[in-house]
Amino acid sequence: MLTKYQVYGPVNDGGVILFKQVRDASQLDIDYTNSNVPPKALFFGQTETLFKFSLSPKVKIEAANMPNERVVIFGIRPCDAKSLSILDKVFKGDYEDPFYLAKRKNYVLVGLSCTRPGVNCFCTSFDKGPASTENVDVLLTDIGEKYYVEVNSDKGEELMGGFKNLFTSTKSKDEKIRKEVEEKAVRAITRSINIEGAVDKLDNLFENSFWKTIAMKCLTCGICTYLCPTCHCFDIQDESTLTKGARVRVWDSCMFPEYTCQASGYNPRPERMNRVRNRIYHKYNYYPKNYAMTACVGCGRCIDNCPVNIDVIDALNRVGVAGK
Amino acid sequence: MVSVEKLREKVKGILAREDIKYVIGYEKGTYGFRVSPSFAFTQEDADRFIFSPLCANNLAVYPMLEEKLPLRRDQKEDIRKVGIVVKGCDSKAVLQIILEKGMKRENVLLIGIPCTGVIDPRKIENKFPHQAENVDVREDDDKFVLIVDGKTQEIPKDELMYDKCIYCENPTPILYDILVGEEIHSTKKEDYEKIKVLEEKSLEDKWEYWSKQFERCIRCYACRNVCPMCYCKECMIDQLTPLWVRRSRNVSENTAWNIMRAYHLAGRCIGCGECERACPMGIPLTELNKKLEKDVKEMFNYTPGKSLEQKPLFAMFSPEDPQEFIL
Repeated sequence: MLTKYQVYGPVNDGGVILFKQVRDASQLDIDYTNSNVPPKALFFGQTETLFKFSLSPKVKIEAANMPNERVVIFGIRPCDAKSLSILDKVFKGDYEDPFYLAKRKNYVLVGLSCTRPGVNCFCTSFDKGPASTENVDVLLTDIGEKYYVEVNSDKGEELMGGFKNLFTSTKSKDEKIRKEVEEKAVRAITRSINIEGAVDKLDNLFENSFWKTIAMKCLTCGICTYLCPTCHCFDIQDESTLTKGARVRVWDSCMFPEYTCQASGYNPRPERMNRVRNRIYHKYNYYPKNYAMTACVGCGRCIDNCPVNIDVIDALNRVGVAGK
Repeated sequence: MVSVEKLREKVKGILAREDIKYVIGYEKGTYGFRVSPSFAFTQEDADRFIFSPLCANNLAVYPMLEEKLPLRRDQKEDIRKVGIVVKGCDSKAVLQIILEKGMKRENVLLIGIPCTGVIDPRKIENKFPHQAENVDVREDDDKFVLIVDGKTQEIPKDELMYDKCIYCENPTPILYDILVGEEIHSTKKEDYEKIKVLEEKSLEDKWEYWSKQFERCIRCYACRNVCPMCYCKECMIDQLTPLWVRRSRNVSENTAWNIMRAYHLAGRCIGCGECERACPMGIPLTELNKKLEKDVKEMFNYTPGKSLEQKPLFAMFSPEDPQEFIL
């Protein structure tokens, strides 16, 4: 695969798991729970050049190259694969984003079923589990000596077609083990939320004092949004010297006060409460209203990494959205 | 170890006073080994308060985060005090902010905890990576006693404690209004062993080491936001005109951010290690802070957060100050 494609997979970089390009299979860390930074970063990069410009001798604009590499994302978790389907709605929405869409078209997702979910995983709350084939092109499930391979798309078919000699046909025993592996992973997921009716409930909770309570401990850093596989806000900046530069697109976060600050200096979300509430509403109220899907896959990264223990499961439970 | 009953009792006493807005302390977190900052406005709220070796957060950041929105014509500024539960290191942050005139002494009420060392969440979560249920941790002399899934186990303190606690010189808060428990004194001394090893590396090795670390930085600014000493009204990193550091995420810009952050804390960082705890990318930020702390100590014989009689390092000048670095 390495000879025909650029392969990105989970790599341990100083104790942090990141999706990076690998040149040798030994670089992969297959026993990972999930990557610290979600693989959305491969499709919607934290920094992307939109075009370059130079001023002398004449104004010249140079368009950025459209991504056309053949890339395999190896070992993406089903939850993160689902997040891409959620992001598609935005990047294929009113405006089509050529960079994101080119990558979505070219990149092949080879998923790896979860066998050891993390403490804050709750993907089963959103009906697709740790071994869902739905959003990947190929899904591998570790069934001991070998992988159980399921091909889910033409892209997956094409990729796997090149390696036919590696596969044997499945036996009913293999199917049974695959099911057991999935069930075991599902059982290992201990946390959950019930988001039925969350949209309507949140509609009536906008002015609830609870948001202020939870926001008091928020530091308004960018961890929860930057590490969220479905967060997709960006800022556009011109970065230049006197004679040349580039227009770049960089991640932005609704947790930052500058995010909504207007040129006049007025900020419609001046308090932490406004921003904390916005993050939760965007995922569980606005997004479902706009696109008929919840903008959360239950990966638990925002909970794992929050330095002050802001916990979206707990927050939704306490405000009475979930579980009742 | 500090008695939780005594702590709650003191906090309730404080909350009964009229000049108190609220008290910031710790409560049990929502899962595993996590502890959460907690805000008590009423007596009942105080019943949530705990103190355990898991209480790592430096709560001194919170009064600095409080939004001061413009007052309406009929509103008066709320000048009541904020109560804060502080460990030794946390109290140093409050002290340093006060001497920098970032806040007024009379606006805070400090509930001091004589601290015997807190657990590094990374170390304990590495040991029990799949612990979802809330667990109980207490201290017993030189051991931590953990009750995980009903089973009690003892772990030597040094295995789980923060590095900063191993060398802690001020377990009892330097500044406090009320102390919960008895003062404790430490004979420990920071030896900067780790920093000396880094210092001896060649320039190339240092660059390789740090560029690898900074490459991972995602510029979420959690290190800044969690830091009680980072309280500028507008951080240089957020400014657009002039644009000191570009928004692009790459080794060069990331390095600029991390170095500038560290330099802005020279002679100010009190070593609580919150930046490193908050960093989701595992960047060893305390190494940078410690290096500057060591330099400041050696060159100017200055330690931040030591006494209210002191001036901030950059507000002082002495003809004896070393000047070799001035060209």
